[in-house]
Amino acid sequence: MAAVLEPYIYEGGIHRHTLLLELLEDMGGYLIQKTPAATEVTLVMLVPRDDVHLIEQLAKELLGKISRAPLTGTEIAVVSPTLASHHLPHSACDIAEFLRRGGANTTMIGLARGMGRRVALSADYERKLINEHDIALFSFGTFRDCIINKKPKLFEGIKIPIVATGGPDIKTEEVPGADMYIGNIGRISHRLRHSDELEALDVMSEKVGLIVEKIREDIARDPLAVMPARIMKEVQEQIPEIESAYTPAPLTLQLDGIRIKLPYADFHKKVEELELQDNIRLADVATVTPSKMKNYILVKVKRKSEVGIEI
Amino acid sequence: MEPLEIFKVETKIPEEAEAYKSILSDVMSDLALANAIGRIYVIITPEDSLFQMAIILRGSPPLVKTSDFADVNIGALGKNEIQLVLRDEKYLPDLLEKLWAKYGRGKVIQQDRKTINVSVGNIDSDIEIIKEMIIFDPKRTLLSRLVEMAIRGTPEGFRVRHHSLNDNEFIFVASEDAMKPEWVQQGHQMLEKIKGGEAFGSSA
Repeated sequence: MAAVLEPYIYEGGIHRHTLLLELLEDMGGYLIQKTPAATEVTLVMLVPRDDVHLIEQLAKELLGKISRAPLTGTEIAVVSPTLASHHLPHSACDIAEFLRRGGANTTMIGLARGMGRRVALSADYERKLINEHDIALFSFGTFRDCIINKKPKLFEGIKIPIVATGGPDIKTEEVPGADMYIGNIGRISHRLRHSDELEALDVMSEKVGLIVEKIREDIARDPLAVMPARIMKEVQEQIPEIESAYTPAPLTLQLDGIRIKLPYADFHKKVEELELQDNIRLADVATVTPSKMKNYILVKVKRKSEVGIEI
Repeated sequence: MEPLEIFKVETKIPEEAEAYKSILSDVMSDLALANAIGRIYVIITPEDSLFQMAIILRGSPPLVKTSDFADVNIGALGKNEIQLVLRDEKYLPDLLEKLWAKYGRGKVIQQDRKTINVSVGNIDSDIEIIKEMIIFDPKRTLLSRLVEMAIRGTPEGFRVRHHSLNDNEFIFVASEDAMKPEWVQQGHQMLEKIKGGEAFGSSA
């Protein structure tokens, strides 16, 4: 049986951080994302549960900080009604920032015509793009009436779990169509930095964590044929061109798949032919489709019950 | 009139008014308007998609002359030259524009950040002209900032707008649906209310 992996974030100096990467590789963990910034580095990784203490010990020696990141390996769409200054950068960007600190990859999506009450609507293209993610988080405003009666029509056609944030303190059941409602984060036109605002963001991060936990449990009942982290490793080894993709996260993990940020037309054959094990190609255990995000490749892994294999 | 001596936001649910008050104060401070606004009264009715705002400005701010922010003196001896030494660099671009337009670029020489020399025909008369030259009219940008504030403050979908500025009185009504005359009328009533001032009470 494959080892159970735990998500962790390491923040520390860039000096000697390769020791950590070597240790991670030796014990069969995965590096999800590495973000160097001047003399600092942030590593998002999946560590085998039994060996977490080894990583913690080494991180302590390197004077770095290691913390659990429950949102690791998820891609979350943070949706704001439009890109106008009414909704961005505060509070949608602060929400995304807090989700990223939890280890998630976020996509900021501003709808073209999501503003207002009667006139709010979303386009087919936007819904398809949102549906490529693991969770959709809609960032709404201040008015109770809008959130309960008008804005939920933006949820139509969204098939993934929906989280809504807004100003008023209302119950999830009152917001039709939402899987989770999180209050106290409404329309704010300054950077969220007061203690109550930061507290609300912490609560938000925690509650999104609960939803991720629930999706993981669902997946565990009928496991994926192959772990997305494993696909990531194979892509890095077999498609060297990924090294020259200069996006912040060229390989973005999702709970049930992976987004490969290479042009679909040029690379989808290579991705489909990716060898995972003797005679098992990626196309056997996953669907490879063009992504709605630019011209990237979207891989969604099939379940064990469907293909009869678990790698 | 003190700045923001009345600052009232009304909605059916009091917490929502608090939240909107915070948004409006952020917008006002972003646009440096807090000192220009004396009284402001806002009513928001989300059920009708309606946003109404009445503002009384604190009277026209004075026009800015050269002598308000620069020392104007006779330059080097023997040359027909006037020297300006700036105390405040804020108005430098406007000042240079005006001087270039009047004397031509070749005759206006900026020696360093805060010193400008101007070659003129008659020192005595030109020194007075430069001293009294109107460089900046705060009212000109005030209106555009006021409109900007109204648009930023209003919920984004409310794109049917009515606004009027009479002297120091500004009314703004915005909605998602076709504008009703009674909404504008209510705006005028709100203005009358805050004109009364003290009786209305302050929540600033």
